[in-house]
Amino acid sequence: MAEKKISSSSTAEYFAKNLQQVGFSSPTKAVLTTLKEAVDNSLDACEEHGILPELNVEIEKMGPGSIKNSERIKVIVEDNGPGIDADDLPKVYGEYLASSKFGRGRCTRGQQGIGISAATTWAQLTCAHGAKVISKTKAQRKAVSALIEVDIKNNKGAVKKRETIDWDRPHGTRVEFVFDGRIQINGDAGLLSYLLGTSLVNPHVTLNYKLPDQEWVKIERVSTTVPKIPDAIEPHPHTMKLGEFIAHSHLFGRTKVSAWLKRGFSRITDSVIEEMSKRSEYKVPKSLFEKNADQLTNAEFDQIFTALQHIDLKAPSTSSVLSIGEEAMSKSIQRLGKVDFFSVVTRKPTICDFKPVQVEVAIARLEERSGEGDSLAQVLRFANRVPLQFDKSACAIVHAITSVNWRSYGLGQAKESIPQGPYIFAVSVVSPFIKFKNASKETIDASDELVEEIRRALMQAGQKLSRYIKAEHKANELEEKIRYIEQFGPILVEGLARITNAKEDQKKRAQDGLMKILGRDANATEKELTEANKKLEKHIANESAGEANA
Amino acid sequence: MRKGGKSQSEIPIISKQLCLRLLNDLEKAKRPVLYATKTALDNAVYNHKVGYLTPGGKKVATELNVSSVKKMSRAVFMLEILLRNIDTGAVNTKRELYYISKGEIKGTPMLKPLDFGDQPESDDTIDFICELLECYREEMNCYANDRGGQTYSQQLVVTETMPDGTTATIDLSRLGTSPFQPKNRPQNLTLKASKKIDFCLIVESEGTANTLVANGFTKRHNCILMGAQGVPSNAVRGWAKLIQDQLRVPMYFFGDLDAYTLQNIYRTLKAGSAASLIRNQDYSAPEVRFLGVLPGDIKKYDLFDYPVRENDAQEVRALKKADDALKNDPFFQDKKNKGLSDILHWLLKNKRRCEQQAFFSVDPKDPTMPEKIIVDKIKRGDFV
Repeated sequence: MAEKKISSSSTAEYFAKNLQQVGFSSPTKAVLTTLKEAVDNSLDACEEHGILPELNVEIEKMGPGSIKNSERIKVIVEDNGPGIDADDLPKVYGEYLASSKFGRGRCTRGQQGIGISAATTWAQLTCAHGAKVISKTKAQRKAVSALIEVDIKNNKGAVKKRETIDWDRPHGTRVEFVFDGRIQINGDAGLLSYLLGTSLVNPHVTLNYKLPDQEWVKIERVSTTVPKIPDAIEPHPHTMKLGEFIAHSHLFGRTKVSAWLKRGFSRITDSVIEEMSKRSEYKVPKSLFEKNADQLTNAEFDQIFTALQHIDLKAPSTSSVLSIGEEAMSKSIQRLGKVDFFSVVTRKPTICDFKPVQVEVAIARLEERSGEGDSLAQVLRFANRVPLQFDKSACAIVHAITSVNWRSYGLGQAKESIPQGPYIFAVSVVSPFIKFKNASKETIDASDELVEEIRRALMQAGQKLSRYIKAEHKANELEEKIRYIEQFGPILVEGLARITNAKEDQKKRAQDGLMKILGRDANATEKELTEANKKLEKHIANESAGEANA
Repeated sequence: MRKGGKSQSEIPIISKQLCLRLLNDLEKAKRPVLYATKTALDNAVYNHKVGYLTPGGKKVATELNVSSVKKMSRAVFMLEILLRNIDTGAVNTKRELYYISKGEIKGTPMLKPLDFGDQPESDDTIDFICELLECYREEMNCYANDRGGQTYSQQLVVTETMPDGTTATIDLSRLGTSPFQPKNRPQNLTLKASKKIDFCLIVESEGTANTLVANGFTKRHNCILMGAQGVPSNAVRGWAKLIQDQLRVPMYFFGDLDAYTLQNIYRTLKAGSAASLIRNQDYSAPEVRFLGVLPGDIKKYDLFDYPVRENDAQEVRALKKADDALKNDPFFQDKKNKGLSDILHWLLKNKRRCEQQAFFSVDPKDPTMPEKIIVDKIKRGDFV
């Protein structure tokens, strides 16, 4: 038998064969993922450089695709970001894991440097044509235009057709992908849901978009504050596995173990190290802390790691999370359409599963959807301000929504399901370490602690919302009571008068009496309505005062 | 004049009094309150000397307010139709009254808000009126379909007084194989026996009643044989009461041995039901005895019985209800009915049932064997 040769393959080769793992599992997903990766990159770049983003997104159909049941699609995303140095273009668009953000523990959209290279690969595999990029930095007089492709064998970006061109932008990047895909405009997994969701959680973005066969649409920014992405925090030892722990040490080279632990992790201090060396169980000898990290054996790593897992450590700091804020959310939600009323809740940052997390919720009732009383409310899910559009049922956000009894807040809901009615539920989870269920970042893992935190935010939002619903309910009740009085009062008296052969004056007196009785009921309801309205006004005033203080 | 309820001539008077009270209250801007008898088991009283379930003192009060104005307006509207029927002598079923009300509303746009969406809404209104006036719907000339009660006898003669005062005489012995079908208005019937009648047998299954007659039961015995056709209709209940009162013959019920038959069929026939507390007086025959199938018959005649199937929803529900009945139903709690509550205990404990047709298994070659067993049981006093 011939000996089989064992060969290693490049990261690019791996992803090229497994694009389904990073969001390219169907032609429909390919369009959305390409768009999403390009937009994420643009927004992250703008925010890093304190620029208020203005994005132009254009999606075109160019004819039938080479894959069965697909079309040839062109996706263009243009931003006013800082631009990319010409030398970095192949790294950004053509090399896997070449990210400036990998494992840094910050609340950026992109984390690993896989997505946009995967989009280039998909375009290359389906159309033999990579990403066409134009980019200009502030320092450049002319822009660079290049076609970037992935050298799959070597995981390197390859530059083709590089030229210098005139571009009437002070700075920015324009990327164009042509590939096989299929366009879905509406529905949870549709392009519109993505674009609206992105604008909702990014109040500072001005978004211009054009979908196939439609006119350009402009969504103006409602905030002029560029979110400041908090500094990174180091990982917390309780969130790691042994392998990750060892790999983490490699980033520090020849460093003393005690220094590596203190610098490389959250919440490890001198006193923690001291305690580890004094404990009766899971004791780590002092000498081990004095060794260099690169000289530790695996058994020694294991000893330190196990000791760390058995010691009480403070939860990590929550200063690394980034919130949109209730005021910005309140303005942004009104960009989704004509809103009857809404409620927003920004929870304080907290710790779930030893990771800092902040949850924000916005619920709005849309006037234009008032006919959709029986259909399920629309759920917009966000992780680090990126819309999640697939695998809804497994997501922590959906678990939390269905666990709340929305009937008690006046919404329609079948048992343990998403509430009904013309509502939008937007839930944003922000964390430097979001645990996704898969590499394509479509679903947030539903841990009990996270679900409970989201659930609390939802219930707070529900309570706020119920004030509007209650006032509206009282107004409807009053209207119905008045209608009942007008309709049934005369019928009842007429009927009684006919059976008893009552005279006209007796009938008239009875009619007046009945109106008095029923009028009292209506007055009582009117009083309740006034009360409900007062409470609502007070609530709105408190909210505004809170925003002003903030 | 009838013994129970109100006579029909009283109804227009009581109705007018009620409406006048409402009108007077309204004139004074005082909130009128209507009281209706509560027809539920927790308001049922049983005294074995009376023999049937009677209403207790609980009333359901409906106060006029914005929420009840529709219900009251509908009641007054339907009452007018019913009073008109009493006046003209017209009779209707509930469904017909539903359509009559639709027709009235169609012709008078002002009445549109009263419109009944479906028949249950108009049925509820009719029932509400009966509870307010404490009368039967039959007294309001509203009759149900004459279901069940097909009766055979060689000795029974029925005289029916027609609405126009003329009479018709029906000699059941001259009907051949056709049964006599009792009417919903038993007060118009007079019974006579051409020869001494020894007993009246009410069989749960209409089919088994027919078989017994076809095999010569009524030829060999001086009796009345009736098929109940499941839960007895008002016609069957009123008819059994009439036979009991006018002929004074021993009466026996023969049906399945299961919780449903005992509670829903036999108890209703003998003592009425909680839902019909107001009319049990005229729609129950307390003299009817339970001939079987008795738990002892299974062993005695080696009958086929079988466990209650878990997917038999009706019987599983009846068993649950039986447990409740033993705790809350005054009929089964009465000492005089200990024999019947013992059967319920037996059913709950053994969770088995035996059908009336199992008597056909005793001697498959002898088609008259069930008849022989029934007559033998009557002779020996083997009943509860």
